Amino acid sequence: MHRRLTRREWLATAGGAALLAGCRTHGPAAASVSAPPQVSIVRAPAYDQSLYDTLRRIVAGHRLGVRGRTVVLKPNLVEFEPESSINTHPLLVHAAYEAFLAAGAARVQIAEGPGHRRNTLDLADAAGYFQTIPKFEDVFVDLNLDDVTRVRPEAQFSRIDKLYLPNSVLRAGLLVSMAKMKTHHWVGATLSMKNLFGTVPGAIYGWPKNVLHWSGIEECIADLHAAYPRKFAIVDGIVGMEGNGPIQGVPKKAGVLVAGRDPLAVDATCCRIMKIDPFQIGYLRLAATDLTQIAEPNIAQIGESIRTVATPFDLIPDFRRVRLG
Amino acid sequence: MSIDTLIRKQNRDGGWSYVRGGSWTEPTVYAIMALLSSGETGPAQRGIAWLRSIERRDGGWPPRAEVDQSTWVTGLVALLGPGKIGAAAHRHAIGWLLRTTGEESSTIYRVREWLLGNGMSESDRKFPGWPWVPGTAAWVGPTSIAIMALEKEDRRQSSSEIRRRIEAGRVFLLGRACDEGGWNHGSSRPLGYPSDAYPETTGLALAALRGVRSPKVEQALTVAHRFLSECRSADALNWLRFGLRVHGELPPGYCTPSGVAYRTVPETSLDLVMTAAEQGRDCFGG
Repeated sequence: MHRRLTRREWLATAGGAALLAGCRTHGPAAASVSAPPQVSIVRAPAYDQSLYDTLRRIVAGHRLGVRGRTVVLKPNLVEFEPESSINTHPLLVHAAYEAFLAAGAARVQIAEGPGHRRNTLDLADAAGYFQTIPKFEDVFVDLNLDDVTRVRPEAQFSRIDKLYLPNSVLRAGLLVSMAKMKTHHWVGATLSMKNLFGTVPGAIYGWPKNVLHWSGIEECIADLHAAYPRKFAIVDGIVGMEGNGPIQGVPKKAGVLVAGRDPLAVDATCCRIMKIDPFQIGYLRLAATDLTQIAEPNIAQIGESIRTVATPFDLIPDFRRVRLG
Repeated sequence: MSIDTLIRKQNRDGGWSYVRGGSWTEPTVYAIMALLSSGETGPAQRGIAWLRSIERRDGGWPPRAEVDQSTWVTGLVALLGPGKIGAAAHRHAIGWLLRTTGEESSTIYRVREWLLGNGMSESDRKFPGWPWVPGTAAWVGPTSIAIMALEKEDRRQSSSEIRRRIEAGRVFLLGRACDEGGWNHGSSRPLGYPSDAYPETTGLALAALRGVRSPKVEQALTVAHRFLSECRSADALNWLRFGLRVHGELPPGYCTPSGVAYRTVPETSLDLVMTAAEQGRDCFGG
């Protein structure tokens, strides 16, 4: 039997609920209700053979349940500059490839759709992928040229009401965003979420994928984050890029890998390592259902602490305001 | 990949994929050009029928059948000419190109920028280029293709409207050249920092500047020669060959270096098309 609430009881209940909701939305330090996302911070001083063991431990540690599934690794390939820090290092990608196979994945593909250059395989060749990854061409998909499906993202932040996205990524059991840790001259930092721009097909949207710029870069990053539900993030901060990134910056050694199931938590952690305030990064604020998601106490860091690996990345003048105090 | 491989890779619907999978407009146009330049009319006709079947009501073409928007690939279809794609379809494609500009040149955008107090480049207003997708900015790639399509049409049937857009497009290209010569995708000084030229877009823009003499073209030709000797990308070499040839600058007896990988249908097709052009059968020039 239900007793009707008195007017005073109803007001007290509603007021309490509103207060709680307000705390969840605006109180960065408030505790999250669900278990905090886990983010691995692992020292990795160089691109060497030890990465194979490191990646196996990271993949095993996060219990990703990839047995029998297709895993798509999405590195960041930008320019024909093998000596620079512009592209995700091929040895790291190969180490992840081996780690996911060892974890029981039925198939591991490497896939990318660069935003500026059309000749993706030539770019991958120049970046050292053919040399490092046996039978690279057999496992690689050019996402700029892949078959597509029209989708409406789960949540919409930009004015793009539909996106054509590559089937290889949409059908993956797990999409692994393997970004480079870089500053970015439009959005402050480019990490695992911004890396998803490379899944937008150039054959439809062009080179560059200018639709994403006209519809709002930060909003489109949030759209893409919502479009792919099964993700894992590994950020290559062994040598990142600072200054006028993501193309014209200079190498910055941070000696770290950052990984986790929740790209928001991973990118917020990377920002803190780079001494950037994640609350000042527009796309993180947009994509977070509430800002507590990117609050440091609500992210369970595994391995190193942020403090022990923190490496301030130089910022262009327009972004000095995002520097973590 | 040879002509035989190209024929084998034709999809059942008559179109071609880039590498594998469903049919796309861009590889289909280039495959048709390659087949026609080799006298293979049967598969080319099936490709043309597929292209005709996906024309949109606004007179443009989508990048593939299920995409509900006409884009830059309309310029590629127009390049086929009325004798191949059909007079009505060709007229529609040319009309679409003449109506389309980069969004930065549109009245709505200019009014918006004026209201926001943002400065506008006079050049963007007066000399519009073409976007990849309507509603976005103009870039070197789609502008070059559109200029080539309109130039081909102008040689067939000249009009002042066509001449005006070609000239404006060429000014757009010259204004987007990189400081050190040549072109990247069209953003030569992002945030004030000079950026580098790309081989493929340098060749493409040079092709669209056929017959134009200017210090920027001379500078770009020097850069293109350097790219031609250093570059090993099939896509880039195809456009560099063409861009240099239309300016009479392709080294006599030039042969593509061994070891260049032709992996996609456009790369293979354009190699065949450029070879045919070097032998006097120029699909782009008409």
